[in-house]
Amino acid sequence: MIDPGRLDRPTPPTGDVPGAVEREVILGVAQPPLQRARRGAILGGVCAGLAVRLGVRERTVRILFALGVLFYGAGLLLYVGVWLFLTRSGEAASIGDRLSKKRRALLVAVWSSVIVIALLIATRSLALQGTGGFVWTILLSAIGLLFVWRGASPDERTHIEAILDAAPVVGGAKARGTKAVALRVIPGVVLAGIGLDILAHIGGIWGGAVPALVGAMILLGGLLILLAPWWLQNVRDLTRERRERVRMEERTALIAHVHDSVLQTLTLIERAAGSEADVVRLARSQERELRRWLFDPDALNATHRATETLASMLAAIQTDVERDYATPVELVTVGDCPVDDDVLALVGAAREACVNAAKWSGAPRVAIYAEVEATSVSVFVRDTGRGFDLDTVADDRQGIKLSIRDRVTQHGGTATIRTSTGSGTEVQLVLARPAT
Amino acid sequence: MGQPRVFLVDDHELIRSGIRAELAGSVDLCGEADEVDAGAQMILERTPDVVLLDVHMPDGGGLEVLRRVHHVNPAICFLALSVSDAAEDVIAIVRAGARGYVTKNISGADLIDAVYRVAAGDAVFSPRLAGFVLDAFAESDPGLAALSSDPELDQLTPRERQVLRLIARGYAYKDIGAELEISVKTVESHVSSVLRKLQLSNRHQLTHWASERRLS
Repeated sequence: MIDPGRLDRPTPPTGDVPGAVEREVILGVAQPPLQRARRGAILGGVCAGLAVRLGVRERTVRILFALGVLFYGAGLLLYVGVWLFLTRSGEAASIGDRLSKKRRALLVAVWSSVIVIALLIATRSLALQGTGGFVWTILLSAIGLLFVWRGASPDERTHIEAILDAAPVVGGAKARGTKAVALRVIPGVVLAGIGLDILAHIGGIWGGAVPALVGAMILLGGLLILLAPWWLQNVRDLTRERRERVRMEERTALIAHVHDSVLQTLTLIERAAGSEADVVRLARSQERELRRWLFDPDALNATHRATETLASMLAAIQTDVERDYATPVELVTVGDCPVDDDVLALVGAAREACVNAAKWSGAPRVAIYAEVEATSVSVFVRDTGRGFDLDTVADDRQGIKLSIRDRVTQHGGTATIRTSTGSGTEVQLVLARPAT
Repeated sequence: MGQPRVFLVDDHELIRSGIRAELAGSVDLCGEADEVDAGAQMILERTPDVVLLDVHMPDGGGLEVLRRVHHVNPAICFLALSVSDAAEDVIAIVRAGARGYVTKNISGADLIDAVYRVAAGDAVFSPRLAGFVLDAFAESDPGLAALSSDPELDQLTPRERQVLRLIARGYAYKDIGAELEISVKTVESHVSSVLRKLQLSNRHQLTHWASERRLS
């Protein structure tokens, strides 16, 4: 079926064998790609997508699918299958492709389906012989939908959530009207009542098993409908909260890093303004470091983890600060431990504290003391310099708040800063550690 | 007490002149030597209060000087000086009888303070040495504690541990006193007690260093 509207496209230049090329061109140009539609989609955009491809009206395809459902649910199964394996317009991979790459999502979906199938086999042998093919197709479709949900792109997931919200029975958490509540409560109560009624009238030994199962399932269905909005709301709140927290943590890490590296280097460059060689050296090393951090952060962390320990990383701080600020750093470590994310944050905060002390305190030396105990790791950074008033630190001086305090508290540690004008500063960083 | 009489042993002329300049006027410098034999002999003749002793010298180093003097006249106090702060040097020389240990990058005022402290019979711990002692006397080996022949010598008290931690964090004795709400005198006695344990304890970590340096 060729969409007449597309024939007026310019045809590419023809080759040596005009006839053959022309045929291919017509085929390639005339047919839009087969994909799920975004525009006009009601559920997965399957019907709308097929309609575009076949050049017919969306409604026609929908009616065909609906009729297909009458054949033992084949239409439904076909719909879910297409949903799974056809790429959505504007996306790079189909849900099936995406799932095959997401091991965890795939595992969850596979196990859920195994459980459902086991349940079905159990019930089928007991009760559902008569209903035949329908049960299987509906079940397979449900499993397919489960896969769709697990594998959907974030964008499509939002779309599906919107559909669920609009559905009168499941959604309704947002809809507060009498009608919405009635739509939810009445079927819920009726189903629960029927289930209870069946359960109450059980008699005999074998006569009891089937009604017991059916009754229990109906009761369960009723309760699900009643509680669905509350449950969905909870899940959604949790997801949103987690997303928010992850975003906050990423932002803090980003600010802390930019502050530690780029801003510090700029200050160093400012100081070294007279010496061209120093400025070039500083700029180069900063550029290298920033590139590595931007484009290969995992490798950076991995090398840290593979080769470094707390003591070796603190020794690196000592070397760097002594070189960059010409201030002796006295380093004492008691015990040692491998570096994980938490320790990395602690080390980052210690580096910031040490740089601050070398830069601002005016003290002749800085002392770092680190102790690894069975249940905690502590680092103390101390100078005997001019100290400062914590309350008067300007808001744009983010070092103390972001690079030291937030960084450590985010990893479950504490950061205490003891200072007063004229009597030096000590930054105390303590991180609880699971006992090994 | 007047100015302590100090004798200086170091094989580097530059270092000796530097230390001379730092100490001039604050202590009574009664002599110096640049090698082991002459050093040991002159020290025994002049009986200074404190010997400032370079750890690394040819013919056995500061350790050899300390040994020769110590078994003849244990009243002479030694304060070791070194460019390095490596545990093997520190532990060997302290166990041989030195009452303290400072690195050569110490400031003049701190060096004078250390000399006076040693002359008064106290111990001088650098932060690094304090850290090492904490490491060597780590609590977490009940097996070793059970094996130990003298638990009093082989373990630090909680208070001693606190004092050492603060030294390792770079606190001066008077700051430690203020922090723990005890007198400077008490801090000193804790440090001396740690020094005694460090010299006499047979803990594995300590004898390990000693045996490596063929000291035991």
